[in-house]
Amino acid sequence: MKKILISSLALSALLFTVSCKTDFEQDVSSVVVSKGSADFSKYVSIGNSLTSGYRDGALYIDGQNESFPSMIAGEMRLAGGGDFKQPLMADNLGGIPSVGFGNKLVLAVVNNSLAPIPASGVGTTTLANIFAAGPYQNMGVPGAKSFHLGVAGYGNAAGLSTGQANPYFVRFASSPSASVIGDAVAQKPTFFSLWIGNNDVLSYSTNGGTNSSTSGGVTTFTEAVDQTGNINPATYKSNDISDPNVVAASINGYVNALTANGAKGVLANIPNVTSIPFFTRVPFNPLTQKLIGANVAALNSGLYGPLKQALTAFGAGARINLLSTTTDNPLLIVDISLQNLSAQLTAALTPSLGAPTAAAFGQIYGQARQATAEDLVLLTTSSVIGTTVPGAPASINVNGISYPLANQYILTKTEVAKVLTATAAYNAAIKSIATAKGLAYVDTNAKLIELSTNSGIQYNGVKFTATFVTGGTFSLDGVHLTGRGYGLIANEFLKQINAKYGSTLPMVNINKYSGVKFP
Amino acid sequence: MKKILISTVLLSSFMAYAGGFRVSLQGVKQLAMAHTSAHVEDASVAFFNPAGMSFIPAKLSIAVGGFGAKSSVTFQSLATLESSKTNNPIGTPVYAAVAYKVLPNVSLGFSFSTPFGSTIEWPYDWAGREIVQRLELKAYYFQPMVSVKLAPWVSFGGSYIYAKGTVDWDKAATQIGGTLNLNAKASGSGFGFGFYFQPDSKLDVSVAYRSPVDVKAKNGLVSFNISQALYTSLGLSSTGTDSFTATLPLVDEFTIGATYKFTPKFLVSADFNYSGWERYNKLTLDFAHAPIGNQTDPTILVSPKNFHNTKTYRIGTQYQISDMIALRAGYYYDESPYTDRNFQAETPSFDSNVFTAGLGFKLYKSFGLDLAGGIAFPKSRNVDNTYNNFIGQAKAKAYYFGLGLSYNAF
Repeated sequence: MKKILISSLALSALLFTVSCKTDFEQDVSSVVVSKGSADFSKYVSIGNSLTSGYRDGALYIDGQNESFPSMIAGEMRLAGGGDFKQPLMADNLGGIPSVGFGNKLVLAVVNNSLAPIPASGVGTTTLANIFAAGPYQNMGVPGAKSFHLGVAGYGNAAGLSTGQANPYFVRFASSPSASVIGDAVAQKPTFFSLWIGNNDVLSYSTNGGTNSSTSGGVTTFTEAVDQTGNINPATYKSNDISDPNVVAASINGYVNALTANGAKGVLANIPNVTSIPFFTRVPFNPLTQKLIGANVAALNSGLYGPLKQALTAFGAGARINLLSTTTDNPLLIVDISLQNLSAQLTAALTPSLGAPTAAAFGQIYGQARQATAEDLVLLTTSSVIGTTVPGAPASINVNGISYPLANQYILTKTEVAKVLTATAAYNAAIKSIATAKGLAYVDTNAKLIELSTNSGIQYNGVKFTATFVTGGTFSLDGVHLTGRGYGLIANEFLKQINAKYGSTLPMVNINKYSGVKFP
Repeated sequence: MKKILISTVLLSSFMAYAGGFRVSLQGVKQLAMAHTSAHVEDASVAFFNPAGMSFIPAKLSIAVGGFGAKSSVTFQSLATLESSKTNNPIGTPVYAAVAYKVLPNVSLGFSFSTPFGSTIEWPYDWAGREIVQRLELKAYYFQPMVSVKLAPWVSFGGSYIYAKGTVDWDKAATQIGGTLNLNAKASGSGFGFGFYFQPDSKLDVSVAYRSPVDVKAKNGLVSFNISQALYTSLGLSSTGTDSFTATLPLVDEFTIGATYKFTPKFLVSADFNYSGWERYNKLTLDFAHAPIGNQTDPTILVSPKNFHNTKTYRIGTQYQISDMIALRAGYYYDESPYTDRNFQAETPSFDSNVFTAGLGFKLYKSFGLDLAGGIAFPKSRNVDNTYNNFIGQAKAKAYYFGLGLSYNAF
């Protein structure tokens, strides 16, 4: 009986294990990664800072090792991908002293709270050319605009002083006359990623819609131009918005060159500036009661009241409202799109203030207004708000409170609209090029919009958002991503590559990469 | 004996292989027969049904036992092709029970058991590290009880439950660049009652209910292993800690079981359990200061659990090959209390087919020794936790064995 019992038990257990699924249908260790119709043996990534792995305001080794193309290349290695060499910087500081590039930003405790400050030390990266150890498959060049990639001599050290060359490309260009795209094509890539066009709107945005020039130690700011309609980029100043046809034609040309030998590839579009913490971190109304509450009465009677009264007389009373004694108050800013009422203000205020003071008031507030939720305050402006404006009359010299923040500190509603219009035009062009050439297309804009919602993006229990520092995806410069942020983007590229070419490249584990580092 | 018992308890840690974090290991004899309930040979019936005490064939009965349980869970992601396997310690649930007939028709008893618990230990850098790296959950039930024989064929019994629990939970805190540990002691109380029928010498019927016990942790401690620069902004103490409160439901269970003796030597026993896991629909951690929650009040963290009630079916048998030796075997089917969309990596649970077997020895007339073993065949499952966006597949293995002693005096 005992034997029967035991053997029947053993038998039923055996039958049972065979019939019931206790094991995985397929163990991941036995999964064969397919390349589909693509050939990943030589992957070259082309682009700007986002492709290079730039973060925290600098390009440095740890960041480069977590660039999104290097993540993708890591997965491609499972499907016939080859080496992916990056033009690594000399250290983890990222500064290039010879061209005045500072070190990366790090979080530090300043006045009992955390703030990003430049890392201490002297960067050891030089512009010495390292092409001999190349070529490099990551051809991301920080600062490059769409049309720059095709410029012969973009890596010529002699062109640096005139702004015709880029220090990062000087380091790894094959020759002084090389172009980024030429060096990329010369590697005969079988697969490429091309993500370019961001800086065609971004430098305009991060500079508040201004260009600057420095002479004799004095920096002057001039309005940057939306060059839509001007198809000659040689006439653009550095922070102008590029014409969408220029961007489209540039990218189309690169794609033609890259696909001439049958290479497959992936294009990506441009995120809206409104998804980026550099533009969303500082609210339009950061003047809390704690900050200015004690001065509200004096400001209203001495400045905001008279100013509103005078402006109202010229039909522009809406520019200024009296400061609230209960809620957060908006910044006082300059908006150069407004009619300049300097002369009118001066005339109106001369009887009460006297001619010299009235002239100063008129000049200062002629295009001033209070910010609204539609204006974007730059991240870097936070260090300017509340500071004293040198040379301004003592009673009205507090930046953003009694003295309007200058044009370069704010991306006004009008400027935002120009940027978004150009971005939409670029994105439409990039998408149609991808469609026309049968390339994969990554909608990074949609992904960053999703990230910048309150609910963010949940991944393996971690909630990522586009919030500065605490969101985990944007680095300390507020524009570029952290390793985890780049991981999120890498997965979007991988998904679209798989969808287009029938490959089965695995996704990266986003949490494996680094986020913001705390001191 | 007391010392040994206590130290065993202190060393013990359990695993989750029954639905949720219920550990169905409260009687060695019972386990050998699929953990069925309608057995009144000794005091081990006390946990299953207080009313069963009235039918123990002795004035005084004592039963103690312990188990060793080994389990592992493997998670794999088809997206990243990563795979992780737990390294759980061997769990050692224990029980002790005593029943005494103060009057011919009144029995008093006491049951100590560890009906809930789980120790899960994932690799610390695994995919679900933000959810759990290691979780050790223990609960001890102390149940004084009484049973009254209403008629020669039926008894009614009831118990008071005092439960103590501890939780020790390590998890990553990715966004603040570190890890945290939740540590709490909790307690609560409940009750149990049941009827036991012995209408003739061949049939036993047991009907029992054990109430839910909400164990409340009033002064839990959360310790952060993160940059000290963040302590102030998180409202932590100078040692990086904060306090929290939480409540964990140990759910109720309704059991109906019957044993039929086909011959004096051969019996078959069957059980049906219905467990109220629905009660565990969310876990709320209320921190004193740390704003690491997800509610309007940022110090409150609510994690949806969405468990559902489960059914367990058990069938067991015993064959007495001699006066001294009994052979036992059983099979049960245990449901996981949640769907794929609510898979909880800290308490992994699977629909499981479990086979058990064991031997019973009567060493002297009143002294019994029981051995039992079990092997579980949990079904592999998809993991698609939408709240955490934690996606993949999971499978598990579990084995256990037990040694029990019983003594019937008078």
